[in-house]
Amino acid sequence: MSFDHSGHGGGFRMGRRGLLRWGLAGAGAVAAPSLLAGCASPASPSGSSSLRVWDLFSGGDGVLMDEMLETVTSGPDSFSIDRTILEWGPSYYTKLAMAAAGGRAPEVAVLHLSRLAGYAPGGLLDPFDLDVLAEFGVGEEHFAPAIWERAKWEGGVYAIPLDTHPFIVFYDKELADQAGLLDSDGELAPIGSPDRMLAASDALASAQGAAGVLFGHVGDQSQCWRLFNGLYAQTGSEWVLPEGGEPQVDRDAAVRVITFMTELFDGDRNPNHLDYNGAMAAFQGSRGAMIFSGEWELPNMTVTGRPLGAAPFPTIFDQPAVHADSHSYVLPRQERVDEARRREAHRFVATMLKASYTWASAGHIPAYQPVIADERYADLDPQASYAGASEIAVLDPANWFTGSGSNFQNQMTQPMTSALLGNTSPERAVEQMVSASASMLDQPNPVA
Amino acid sequence: MSTTSSRPDATDSPVESKAGQHPAPPTARPRTKQTGWLFVVPFAVAFALFMIWPIVQGLWMSFTDESLTLSSTEFVGFDNFAEAFGDPDVWSSLGNTLFFTVITVVPLVLVALGMALLVHTGLAGQWVWRLSFFAPFLLPVSVVTIIWQWLYQPDLGMANQALEKLGLEPVGWLSDEQVAMWSIAALTVWWTVGFNFLLYLAALQSLPDQLYEAAALDGAGAWRRLFSITLPQLKRTTGLVAMLQILASLKVFDQIYILTKGGPNNSTRPILEYIYDVGFTGYRLGYASAISYLFFALIIVISIAQLRIFPRQEG
Repeated sequence: MSFDHSGHGGGFRMGRRGLLRWGLAGAGAVAAPSLLAGCASPASPSGSSSLRVWDLFSGGDGVLMDEMLETVTSGPDSFSIDRTILEWGPSYYTKLAMAAAGGRAPEVAVLHLSRLAGYAPGGLLDPFDLDVLAEFGVGEEHFAPAIWERAKWEGGVYAIPLDTHPFIVFYDKELADQAGLLDSDGELAPIGSPDRMLAASDALASAQGAAGVLFGHVGDQSQCWRLFNGLYAQTGSEWVLPEGGEPQVDRDAAVRVITFMTELFDGDRNPNHLDYNGAMAAFQGSRGAMIFSGEWELPNMTVTGRPLGAAPFPTIFDQPAVHADSHSYVLPRQERVDEARRREAHRFVATMLKASYTWASAGHIPAYQPVIADERYADLDPQASYAGASEIAVLDPANWFTGSGSNFQNQMTQPMTSALLGNTSPERAVEQMVSASASMLDQPNPVA
Repeated sequence: MSTTSSRPDATDSPVESKAGQHPAPPTARPRTKQTGWLFVVPFAVAFALFMIWPIVQGLWMSFTDESLTLSSTEFVGFDNFAEAFGDPDVWSSLGNTLFFTVITVVPLVLVALGMALLVHTGLAGQWVWRLSFFAPFLLPVSVVTIIWQWLYQPDLGMANQALEKLGLEPVGWLSDEQVAMWSIAALTVWWTVGFNFLLYLAALQSLPDQLYEAAALDGAGAWRRLFSITLPQLKRTTGLVAMLQILASLKVFDQIYILTKGGPNNSTRPILEYIYDVGFTGYRLGYASAISYLFFALIIVISIAQLRIFPRQEG
């Protein structure tokens, strides 16, 4: 009774989707003649209708995106943009995939770079024409190699990164100073080892009087993976997911990382049972000295008025690495490509990249290097402090089922949350992560 | 009991009116039939289009490797079903759904009965009780989950604050694998018990007074009347409530999806969420259909078993 709104017996769910697809196909058949007529008309200039853009930016990001669009849609070379904002998460990616599969997708869409392997190989995206982009002043030389490499698939470039958004640390500068963690420039000094991080956490806790490092992970589907992915890469290991093979994982390194996480969040130097918003609220309310968080929370951090510092995630193991992802522009597949509109799409992407200084104020690191090199960017505090993170960015392992908001991140996160809460051991968490990876690798690839 | 058949019970009437139709005069039959069809056609068309056809289509999909994306679809026979039988996530999520069903159906029947009996005994201000017991049922799932999310919040939530006041350790209501499903069950009971309460109350109010009068004349006390008259008379309502409740609980998805997304560590992930994950975030519609058909088969088995246990006609 109660659950009537939830839908119906298992058997009906997929069926209804199927019907929808058939219905859409039918509608397509009806609409096709008129579309053809539209294409045949030579008098359809590129500016005649708006460029359709899908993105997933709401909240503070959404406002800034509006601001950027405002800039590019005014002036002599202006665009007419039809922006659609969709809720971020798995459902966004389902919608995008279906739109692209249907061949009548928006001209431009935003995609997390880590999800590219689920889109490009399946033919859901069309590659960018680098010559056209070069005409508008954007080329490979303008991006950090770590990010650009992930935008390629079989020689084609399928995504143009707008930003890098790493998982970093925010801290209270005064408390960090009291704890003796700052260097002579007033920035977070290198940490270098797990023991020194634990000591730093102790020092922060005593400077704060309560909690040192805050981390919200309970009930979250990504946070533990974000923390783990960076730290695991710091040990020099890779979480390799070869298509059709077995996961190649350095279990000892993974256990080492999770053990360190459980030591750091032992409930003593800090509460270890915080959820995402709980940790945010604790930091905002000055009930913690440092927080592990995505830089996208910057606007929420600055409003508190605390002396806010930020840094790329500290190197705790052997080599620097931070977990990150990148909002990128992609060209979803079109059944019939309108060349003029596609050219407009390239111009739009290039223009947005050049306008991405505005984007930096949300906390994101612009992917377009000339914006970072600009002296205006160096003045942004604390954004400039962690801009180096894009050089050492580590994305999810590439496979069709990985990436931001994916079930993979969820399946990796769950056992770690369990370990942090003391419900399971680090060894068993790693076992569970490896076997979840293996079972996902076993599944036939639905986008191949 | 011979009184049952003549009792003008609300739940009896459909059966009786159906039975009453049979001896209709044969001359009127063809015309009734035609008119009847006319009335049924609009619904039948919608039903065929939105229920029968998708069911058939879904069944077909379960034998293919249909994907939400572009890749071509091939017939794979029983591969999906074979995979589902060997997929530990299918079994664990099915186990979660069944566990949830067990721990919600029992209280949802007993608490509803208790509340209905209390209200029916003639407490003062009946409408207040009726309203307050039924009101949560009117709330949409999003509101219910937001309220309970705050109650269960580890730091500031009322549940843990209360424990703290009593000097007890805080509980990870939604973060402890052993506790999370119980927390969701508690929310569900609070939210939906009102409907069962209403069914019971209606049944209680339709019990014939003369039975009680006769029993009182024979010297039966209140408890005796409860156990010898009220509860036996409510047997069929209990059957109905239990049946509806089992089906509703098996369909659990939304409050879990919003509150825990199936966590912690998949300990609350119901099978419907697994189907959703496989189909819509994993794009594997064919496999998702196969799992949903297995689940569908299980529901049919449970429904038939229930019909056997709670027969419609009493002996």
